[in-house]
Amino acid sequence: MSASEPVIGIDLGTTNSVVATVQDGVPRVIPGRSGQLLTPSVVAFARNGKRLVGALAKRQAITNAEDTVFAAKRLIGRRWGSKEIEDARRVLPYRLVAGPEGHDVRVELGGRTLTVQEISAMVLAELRADAEAWLGQPVSRAVITVPAYFNDGQRHATKDAGRIAGLEVLRIINEPTSAALAYGFGKQIERKVVVFDLGGGTFDVSVLDIGKSVYDVVAVGGDTYLGGEDFDRRVMDWLTFGFAKENGGIDLRQDKMALQRLRDAAERAKCELSSLPSTAIHLPFLVGGGEGKSALHLDRQLSREKLEELTKDLVDRCIAVTERTLRDAGVRPSQVGEVLLVGGMTRMPRVQQAVREFFGREPCRGVHPEEVVALGAAIQAQALSAPHAGAEVLLLDVTPQNLGLMVVGGYFQTVIPRNTTVPTSQTHLFTTVQDNQTSVRIAVLQGASERAIENELLGEFVLDGIRPARRGEVEIEVTFEISADGIVGVSARDVATGLQQSISVTATSGLTEDEMRHILDEQIDELLERKQTAREFEARRDRVLALVREIEALGPEVHDALERTRFGKDAVLKAEGVLARARTAVEARDLAALAAEEEPLERTLQLFKGLAATARPGAR
Amino acid sequence: MSVDRYSGFAFDPADLQEDVDLDAERRREILFAEGSLPRWTHWDVLGLAWNAPVEAARAAYLEKVKVFHPDRYPGKRLGSYRARLEKVFRRLTEARDVLCDEARRAAYARQTAPADEFARMELRKLEDERRSAERRARLARQSPLVARAGRVADLVRRGKEALQAGQVAQAANDLVLAQGMDPQNAEVAALAAEARRRAAVQRAGDAYERGLAAEAMGAPARALAAFREALEADPRHARAAAGGARAALAAGDAVAARELAEAAVRAQPSAGFAHEALGLALEAQGARKEARRALERAVELDPKLEQARERLKRLRWSFLG
Repeated sequence: MSASEPVIGIDLGTTNSVVATVQDGVPRVIPGRSGQLLTPSVVAFARNGKRLVGALAKRQAITNAEDTVFAAKRLIGRRWGSKEIEDARRVLPYRLVAGPEGHDVRVELGGRTLTVQEISAMVLAELRADAEAWLGQPVSRAVITVPAYFNDGQRHATKDAGRIAGLEVLRIINEPTSAALAYGFGKQIERKVVVFDLGGGTFDVSVLDIGKSVYDVVAVGGDTYLGGEDFDRRVMDWLTFGFAKENGGIDLRQDKMALQRLRDAAERAKCELSSLPSTAIHLPFLVGGGEGKSALHLDRQLSREKLEELTKDLVDRCIAVTERTLRDAGVRPSQVGEVLLVGGMTRMPRVQQAVREFFGREPCRGVHPEEVVALGAAIQAQALSAPHAGAEVLLLDVTPQNLGLMVVGGYFQTVIPRNTTVPTSQTHLFTTVQDNQTSVRIAVLQGASERAIENELLGEFVLDGIRPARRGEVEIEVTFEISADGIVGVSARDVATGLQQSISVTATSGLTEDEMRHILDEQIDELLERKQTAREFEARRDRVLALVREIEALGPEVHDALERTRFGKDAVLKAEGVLARARTAVEARDLAALAAEEEPLERTLQLFKGLAATARPGAR
Repeated sequence: MSVDRYSGFAFDPADLQEDVDLDAERRREILFAEGSLPRWTHWDVLGLAWNAPVEAARAAYLEKVKVFHPDRYPGKRLGSYRARLEKVFRRLTEARDVLCDEARRAAYARQTAPADEFARMELRKLEDERRSAERRARLARQSPLVARAGRVADLVRRGKEALQAGQVAQAANDLVLAQGMDPQNAEVAALAAEARRRAAVQRAGDAYERGLAAEAMGAPARALAAFREALEADPRHARAAAGGARAALAAGDAVAARELAEAAVRAQPSAGFAHEALGLALEAQGARKEARRALERAVELDPKLEQARERLKRLRWSFLG
C-alpha cells in the first residue's frame, strides 16, 4: 500500500451505485468500463452460470427474474422475520431464505445461497474494478456511504460487504453528510444546511451547521424504508388494479416476468413524468390470455396529476420526517441557509414543490442529485488518507437512533441518546442480582420506542467469568462506544478489581467472524482455482501447439503420399477439422475443448507419420 | 506558542517519549488538555472566559476540534494518544452542547459564576425585587379605584382557590362576577374564560362517560346522544366525536358517522383513532379509496390500532376479489 495509491468513495445505492475519487484536488465521478456513470445495483446469475453485475444484469432481468437480485440494500443487515423482510418476501421475484442461525437473510441465486453482504460485495467489486481500470492502478481503500438512518447492524453489514470485495473500508459515512461535504468543498461556507435525500429505497434528512471547514451534523432523521421503489410500487399497483378490472380479474402479480416488465415500465413512467405532463405505458403481450385466447396487452396513459395523487402520502411522510428532524435540531425552517436535494427521487416536481413550501425557499440547484454523495465520499476518503493533499475538512456526525439496553420489565433504557456527536462513549454500572452469579446477559438495542421489543436488537452480550460473591457486591462497569463509523462497541471492567471482563457477542443480523473468514477463504480458493486452471491451460496449450506444429511440418510429405495412394483422403479432411478445432480452442482459452482435442491430435500425428513414411523415397 | 502556558503541569516523561507520530509540542498540548479536564469548566475546555456568548463558544469549538479530533491524524501512529484525543473531543462536544444552547448556557453560567460575580448577580436580583414592590405600593396608594379593586381582588382570590380545588362551577360564578365589576381587567377576563372553559370540559367529560356506558350496554342511540352532548360542551373533545361516529355506525347512520368522524379529525388531526373512525365511516359509505387513505394515516399515526390495521389489509387486497 503506497502513500500515492488512490482512494475511492462509493455511494452504494438501492437502485444505482456510483464511484468517485479526488484527482489533483478535484473530486470527480469515475465512469464504468462501458462509459456509464451510474452502475445499477443489480447482480444476476445468467442461465449459463455466468455472474453478471450492473447494467448487464439489469438488462436481462426481465427474462431471468428469479435469478436477478436488485435492491439488496433494503435487505442488508436486517433480521429474518422483521417486518421489512416479510414485506420484501411478498413483492420480490427472487427467493429469500433464513440463514443457518435463523437470524439473518440469505438470497438464493443461481443454485447457491448467498448472504446479502456477498451480493453487495459483488457490486462493490465491480465498482472497484471500474476504478482500477480508469485509474490504471490498484485500489484497496474506500469510504462507503450509508443512509444516515441505518442502524449498527446495517452499517456493520455494509462494512463487511466492503471487506468481501477486497476493500479496506476507511470509514462508513452518512449519505446526507457526504452530500453536504461535496456541496461545501472548496468554498467558504458559514451556514446551516438541510440535506433532503430521497433515494431509491431510503429517505434521510440531515441538518448540518457548516463553518470553518467543519461539517457539524446537528440532527438526522429518516425512514430506511421509504424511497423511489415505493413510488414505483404505487404505479405498479395502479397498473395491476386497472388491468385486473379490464381483464376480468387477471392478477399480474402471479407472473414473475410480467411483474418485472411492469416494474421497469412503472419506473420509466415515473421518471418521464418529471419532465412531461403525461406519458403512455405500453406493454404488448404482457400475459397469455388463457387457453385458446390471444395474449393480453397493457396500454394506459398516466398523467403527472395521477402520479401525484397515488404518491401523495409518501411525499407527506417525507415532510413530516423533515419537520420532526428540524425540531430535534432546534432549527426553524426560516433559519436554514440552504436546502440540498439529493437522490433521483428529488427530481419529481411534486417533491421539489413540497420542499419549497416547507422551507419557504428555492432548494439549491448546484449539486447533481445522483453523483454528489459519491463525490463527498471521495473527499472524505482523501481527507482520511492524505489529509494535506487537499483542502482541510472535518466531519462531525451523530448517531441516528437511541442506543440502550433492555432493563427489568422489558423496558428500554437509553444509554446514548440520538443525535449525539460521534465518536462517543457512555459508562454504566451493572451489579449481580444473585449470590455467586458468574455471568450477566445484556441485550443492546437501538431505536425510539420505550418498549425494548419494539426496537432493533443489535446483539446480546454475555459477561462471564465474574468472580463469585454475594449478590450486589460485584459491580461491573460497562462502556458503550460508538465509533466515527456509527458502529457500536462494548467493553466491561470489574470496578473493584479493575479486571477486564470478557464479552462475547452474538451477531443477530450480521455475519460472525467465522462466517466472514469462511467467505474470505472461499474467495481465495476461487482465486487459486482460477490461477490453477490458468496454469493447466498453458501446459495443455503448449502441448497442443507442439502437436499442431509437428503435424503441419509433415503436411507436404503427406500430400506427396496422397498423390500416390489416393487413400486416406477422408482421414486428411478429418485431420484438418481436428487442427481447426484445436486452434479455436486455443484462441478461446477453452480448457475443456483443448483437453478433448489432445487425443485426436495425437492420432492424427501418428497417421501423418505413417503416411509420410510411405511417401519417402526408398521407404519400400 | 510558549511552553509557559503549561507551567505547573507535571508531564509524565514516559508519555512524552512514547513512540508515536506526533511532535513534542502537539504531545504537550494533548497531555495538558487531557490532564486538566477534571478541573476545567466548559468555558476553560473551549479556552474561553466565563460567560462568553454562544457565537464565541461555537467558533472556539470549531477551532478546537481541528486539534483534538482523531480524524485529523490519519495514517499516523497515535498509541495511547488516540484514547486521549477521543476523551478531550468528547468533553469538547459536551461543552459545545451546553454552551451553544442559550438556556443551558445561562443556567451553566449561574452555576459556574466566579464568587464575586455571583454576589453581584444576587445583589442585582434583590435590588430589582425591592424596586418593583415599591412601584406596586405607590400605584395602590394613588389609585381611586383601590377600594373597588380590593373587592374584585377578593372575588378573584376565591375564584382561583375554587378553580384549584376543582370546583369549577363555583369558580366560574365568582370570576364572572369579578369580570362584571372590572371589565377592563385582562387577567380577570382570562381567568373567567378559563373557568368557563373548564366547566364545559367537565360537562363534556361527564357526558362522554355516559356515552361510553351506554355504548357498553349496547344502546347506540343513547350513546350517540350523550356523545353529541359532550361534543357540544367541548367541540375539541376528539374522543367524544370518534365515539359518536362509532355509535352512529352501530345505529346504522353512516352519514352522521362520517360527520362526527370528520369533526374528530378536525379536533385532533394528529390522533390515529380519529382517522380510524373516519376510515370506518367512509368504508360504510362505500368510499373505499378515501377509507383506505384515512386508515393508512391512522396506522401511520398510531401503529397499535389493530382494527384499522385489519380493515386496511382487507381494503388493500380485496380489489381483485
